[in-house]
Amino acid sequence: MKLLNCPMNGTRPLSEFLFGGEFREMPNPDTSSDLEWASYVHYRDNAPGVKKEWWYHSPSGTWFIAERNTLSDEVLATYLYGKAPDATKTTKPRAKKEQSE
Amino acid sequence: MSMRLPKQVGEWISRDKQIRFTFEGKEYTGYEGDTITSALLASGVKVLGRSFKYHRPRGVLSLANHDINALVTDGQDTNIRADVVKLTKGMTLKAVNTDGGVINDKSKYIDSISPLLPVGFYYKAFHKPAALFPFWEKVIRKAAGLGVVNFNYPRINKRKLNDFCDVLIIGAGPSGLSAALSAAANDLEVILVDENQHLGGSLTYDRAGNADTQQMLDELVAKVSASPNIKVYAAAYAAGYYQDHMVPVVTADGITKVRAKAVIVSTGVFEQPPVFHNNDLPGVMLGSAAQRMIHRYGVKPFNKGIVVTANAHGYRVALDLINAGVKVAAVVDMRAQGQKDEQVAELVRKGVKIYTGFCVYEATPVKGKLGMSGAVVCPYDESTANADVAKAVTIECDGIAMSAGWAPAAALLYQSGIGMGYNNDIQQFVPNRFPKGIFAAGRVNGVYSLEARLTDGARAASEVASFLGKKVAAVSVESHQGTSPSHPYPFVHHPKGKNFVDFDEDIQIKDFINAAKEGFDNIELMKRFTTVGMGPSQGKHSNMNAIRILAKIRNLPVEKIGTTTARPFFHPTPMGHLGGRSFHSHRLTSIHGWHKAAGAFFVDVGAWSRPAYYQKSGLSKLETIQQEAQAVRQSVGIIDGGTLGKIEVCGPDAAAFLERFYTGVYADQKVGHSRYVLLLDELGVVVDDGIATRLADEMFFLTISTSNAAAVYREMQRWLQIWQLNVGLVNVTGAYGLINVAGPNASKVLSKLVSVDVSEAAFPMGSAQTTEIKGVPVRIVRAAFVAKQAYEIYMPTGHALSIWKALLEAGQSEGIRPFGTDTQRLLRLELGHHMPGYDTDGLTNPFEVRAEKALHMEKPFFIGKRSLEIIAKKPLTKVLVPFTLAVDYKGEMPQDCNLVIEAGGIKGRVTSISYSPAAKRIVGLAYVAPHQSELGNVFDIRTDNGGIAKATVVKTPFFNA
Amino acid sequence: MAYQLLKFALGGEYKEPRFFRDCQTPKKSYDAVIIGGGGHGLAAAYYLAKDHGITNVAVLEKGYIGGGNTGRNTTIVRSNYLTPDGVNFYDASVKLFEGLSTELDINLFYSNRGHFTLAHTESAMRTMRWRAEVNKHVGVESRVVGTDEIAKACPQMDLSCSGKAPIQGALYHEPGSIARHDAVAWGYARGADSMGVEIFQNTEVQSIDVKDGQVQGVHTSRGYISTGKVLSAVAGFTPRITEMVDLKTPIVIHPLQACVSEPMKPWLDTILVSGSLHVYVSQSSRGELVMGSSLDPYEVHSTRSTFDFVEGLTSHIVDMFPFLSNVKVVRQWAGMADITPDFAPIMGKTPIKGFYLDAGWGTWGFKATPISGKTMAYTMANDKAHDLIHSFRLSRFEEYELTGEKGAASVGH
Repeated sequence: MKLLNCPMNGTRPLSEFLFGGEFREMPNPDTSSDLEWASYVHYRDNAPGVKKEWWYHSPSGTWFIAERNTLSDEVLATYLYGKAPDATKTTKPRAKKEQSE
Repeated sequence: MSMRLPKQVGEWISRDKQIRFTFEGKEYTGYEGDTITSALLASGVKVLGRSFKYHRPRGVLSLANHDINALVTDGQDTNIRADVVKLTKGMTLKAVNTDGGVINDKSKYIDSISPLLPVGFYYKAFHKPAALFPFWEKVIRKAAGLGVVNFNYPRINKRKLNDFCDVLIIGAGPSGLSAALSAAANDLEVILVDENQHLGGSLTYDRAGNADTQQMLDELVAKVSASPNIKVYAAAYAAGYYQDHMVPVVTADGITKVRAKAVIVSTGVFEQPPVFHNNDLPGVMLGSAAQRMIHRYGVKPFNKGIVVTANAHGYRVALDLINAGVKVAAVVDMRAQGQKDEQVAELVRKGVKIYTGFCVYEATPVKGKLGMSGAVVCPYDESTANADVAKAVTIECDGIAMSAGWAPAAALLYQSGIGMGYNNDIQQFVPNRFPKGIFAAGRVNGVYSLEARLTDGARAASEVASFLGKKVAAVSVESHQGTSPSHPYPFVHHPKGKNFVDFDEDIQIKDFINAAKEGFDNIELMKRFTTVGMGPSQGKHSNMNAIRILAKIRNLPVEKIGTTTARPFFHPTPMGHLGGRSFHSHRLTSIHGWHKAAGAFFVDVGAWSRPAYYQKSGLSKLETIQQEAQAVRQSVGIIDGGTLGKIEVCGPDAAAFLERFYTGVYADQKVGHSRYVLLLDELGVVVDDGIATRLADEMFFLTISTSNAAAVYREMQRWLQIWQLNVGLVNVTGAYGLINVAGPNASKVLSKLVSVDVSEAAFPMGSAQTTEIKGVPVRIVRAAFVAKQAYEIYMPTGHALSIWKALLEAGQSEGIRPFGTDTQRLLRLELGHHMPGYDTDGLTNPFEVRAEKALHMEKPFFIGKRSLEIIAKKPLTKVLVPFTLAVDYKGEMPQDCNLVIEAGGIKGRVTSISYSPAAKRIVGLAYVAPHQSELGNVFDIRTDNGGIAKATVVKTPFFNA
Repeated sequence: MAYQLLKFALGGEYKEPRFFRDCQTPKKSYDAVIIGGGGHGLAAAYYLAKDHGITNVAVLEKGYIGGGNTGRNTTIVRSNYLTPDGVNFYDASVKLFEGLSTELDINLFYSNRGHFTLAHTESAMRTMRWRAEVNKHVGVESRVVGTDEIAKACPQMDLSCSGKAPIQGALYHEPGSIARHDAVAWGYARGADSMGVEIFQNTEVQSIDVKDGQVQGVHTSRGYISTGKVLSAVAGFTPRITEMVDLKTPIVIHPLQACVSEPMKPWLDTILVSGSLHVYVSQSSRGELVMGSSLDPYEVHSTRSTFDFVEGLTSHIVDMFPFLSNVKVVRQWAGMADITPDFAPIMGKTPIKGFYLDAGWGTWGFKATPISGKTMAYTMANDKAHDLIHSFRLSRFEEYELTGEKGAASVGH
């Protein structure tokens, strides 16, 4: 079984996690056209490569983002939403601590 | 005739413990430590089985589970691998896949008609005329398969364990043992796995009369046993390699899932049969098999035989045979160059004739092909694979040992994603590109001399240590010296064929040639067309030869042919092991025991077990449900709703959160009041509904339908993280019990137990209060899902049963009755409520269920709103309507999922239907075309038997509630 | 039949011709290029030649023919879908399959076994009823049966599933069959080749040349090929092809795994599917149990195997058949399934002129092989979607007109 690193709970077997699908940035519903919105809800960035994805650690109820290569199934980073390790200065210092756990 | 030898150094049998058993109706004796095959061979039994396709007699080939010549049944179990399964007392064995016994198999005629059945013949026959195929299919199916399954075989649940280590070493031959000791010396936690009961790998049989190897083996094993860092799994095979270094290790009693930081694969090599006419006769065996017989089990392979070889190993086999008392008539070396070393000289001194540049052209069968009487050897042209028959020499013998080369046991390496390249010096695929944390050592890594293998193990261990961050000195291993251990093309053409490449599937050289001629000249296509390697031994003794043949046919280097994909499992693995204890999780409410005692008929709802109704003797299911419903309509009933999802949403942004999550408005909701909630997904599809009760300014209590509870809670958590609102979510599904008291007498019953005023005036629809029942704090919410007057009572789970009993007691005088989910479904239908997931499906939008009033499109945002704006511009295609049948309807009762038909086309379907005792007629909900949805419209429902029921669109509730 | 076997025996030199030519160098231009030499691509090529006389066609296969999902599925053929469009489409496929051995002159071992979709819960029974009603309406033989009928067809099964998920009934679909999957690809390849279609194995498409919204040609590992019509029929590789033409789709790739037992004498005559237990199983003509489960839970573009899969599947198989405890699994494998949100394929024209899509086959592609080939050939020849595939158009997502198969997607296979 594969292992996955939950940013809150550390490395756990994959059976404790649920896949939440590709992370998609929602377009502004007020300004997007019908087609843009339909495209957002239906279409996926589906070619293989490094993707941002939602994952859920079931026992603790933790959603987080995993950056994963969907070709090799290698996980490059996991972090809480909005707290990417390489994000801009708005990232709170807490994020780093959680990462290192 | 006994073939048992005197005691051998290091043998695996206990000669003081005799075991009696029978095979094919005859009684034999073996020793403890024997496998079934070794005991039979020791007893002089040569024919162990019949082949899959041609039913040819077969004897021992590898004695190592690299072939399935010897599959037996003990009457209980089938397809038992006799080569490696231990003999136990009283076994009553028969060969599988015979029709009338292994000697007199009635299907043996198939061998003589085999020219009728070339490779892939079944693709070209039997299908014309088409009408006859079912007949041929029966004939073919009868011939298919190996053993017969015993339908009374007991269910076996094997245990599963997890284990962890720094380095997992697979294969405890010289390189594996050496790697384990080196790794342990570097303070690494080691797990060492070997499929044999005894460690040592080839050191346990490849002796060549050299006693030093036994001493070396004893020392290595003693050191391994003494090392606290090494944990040994013997008689355990690594079934496959899975991501992140997980290797299931299979033993007789179960599976241990080993998770390692690094893996050393030191699995050695499989000896490959050279391919000549009749190379499958009983008596013809691999050299390593002959050695296993002698050294492990003290069995003489044959009395007089020859060794056909193409490497140094064959000469060692010849020495072992001589030491075991076999008369070795000749060593036939297929190489023009032959071999020149001390062992050859010793054989010559012992009077063994060496035929250099010769091959075995054919083995001569005895009657019925039940054994062999001689071998025809001829000069051999290595470049054409042809024998010079004119110069044939016939040698009388009853056995042939074959040692022409090896194939790496690299399945686990392939599964790990390794790159393999072909090394011409040793004519073998060897690893050339390693994934992170994967290492190889020993012969699978192309290292052959014993000394080099020991060093290679140490080298791999040092690389592991360095990979795991330890500072260690590098170890280097010399590249291969001397002659190649494998012949590049160990085949001998013969006009009569029967020169077998794959013994599982009876595939001969010409099958490959013919497949290639037909265009199946890619290794994967060839595998699929010929079925090479698809039998139970998964190509262990055949894939390499198949690749060599294809390379020759296509005139390409072996490397260009590539290999077929190696898939788990290394050895076929029983389902009882893999499945272990099957796990079906169930959740029960704290009232479950009471329900059971009261005769509840349970159904699964999500993970929960819920009463559907309470069985009454003499009453049908339908009657029971109708009675339970009537109790609610006429007086009072209670239902255990503890399975409902329950979430507390608290914090300053609680109302704002709900307004984004659900379609309604909650900011202005008064404390102590509840409101309907409707959840959509981003596509605007109805997901769930429930009730939100505001317990305080910053605290809402949400209910979610039972089967959606987990998923909806997850979605709440995700959106909360995205929106970053100041809200806390607490899933209290299991913490609170819920009992719903419903019916005109509900308040009367409830008022006996609570101090608050629960009358209609004081406790109107939508209100909520906190109070106590028997000293237990409870929350009561007025809801109307099943009856106009109904109270949802929430309490700590542990008190649910006592309150349930208290309510029953308080309601006794009113004839209170418990009711189940089936009754609940009828009750809500009578009120006209649809249920998400029951009356909606994965595509239903709120317009189709006429939920417009729940949609607050004026809000800036809610999940699904933007999609609804798009959907709203499109014409509706179906609408859910309430309908009734005529009061005097006498036709066939329509059922859920019966179709709504108009002009021969499907317009919709019934989603809920029942006879309503309250409305005194059949009522239901159905999807119809929009033009059929007007009040009073009559539409057609087609019943199971094709009748038409006229249904009328009506208003709800269906009765005067 | 007997004559054919005698021919083998008396023939001396083996004279069976190649199934298809060994094409190495493509021409500069073709009337149509088909990406993907699986069953679907080869069938499309075959029907382009046979039905429409378009024979100047190249089939480009990255590996070897039939090596993708054609050779990785569990070979089930059925038509008991939920929507009338779905039922009609797959029913047309079943009818083509029934005559295919004769048409292609290759024995596909098309074996009519009957197909039971087992229901363990009341809601599953409802779905079975729904499917049965729609099937019946369209004229496809499906009906809801009780446990007695299941027991009669498969007396060996523990109907209580070891007490863990008692079977309540099933949807019985009489036409349900299995076939020798590889042979379907080989038969279509031979048929297409004999009419002039050129099949290139080991030929990878590197990019697709589009100008002004119209396909111009494809760059391949064997050079540039000019063509005005390109069909992508690559199942799990679809996103890699659509990316080349900048086409968005809702497809997500999830591996689908399967495994096979060692051969045993035939005992399981029918095809059994259980949505609740995530099991489907049949016994091949070689005597092996061919077993599959549900999709892997997350996106991966590879055919790696997992242990979780085989643990879960075998535990449920043993629940159904406790006596198989000591029967061994020989091999497990995986395919890449291209899943759509409404569990229906994506077929037909695209916004790019001359670029046709045959994708979204998820776990149900094999059974559609003949009809997808036939309808895609029609669509390419006429540049107009065949009536049978109208509801499978790519634009349905933007139009919020998903197919109803999503309605009750409890069972996928």
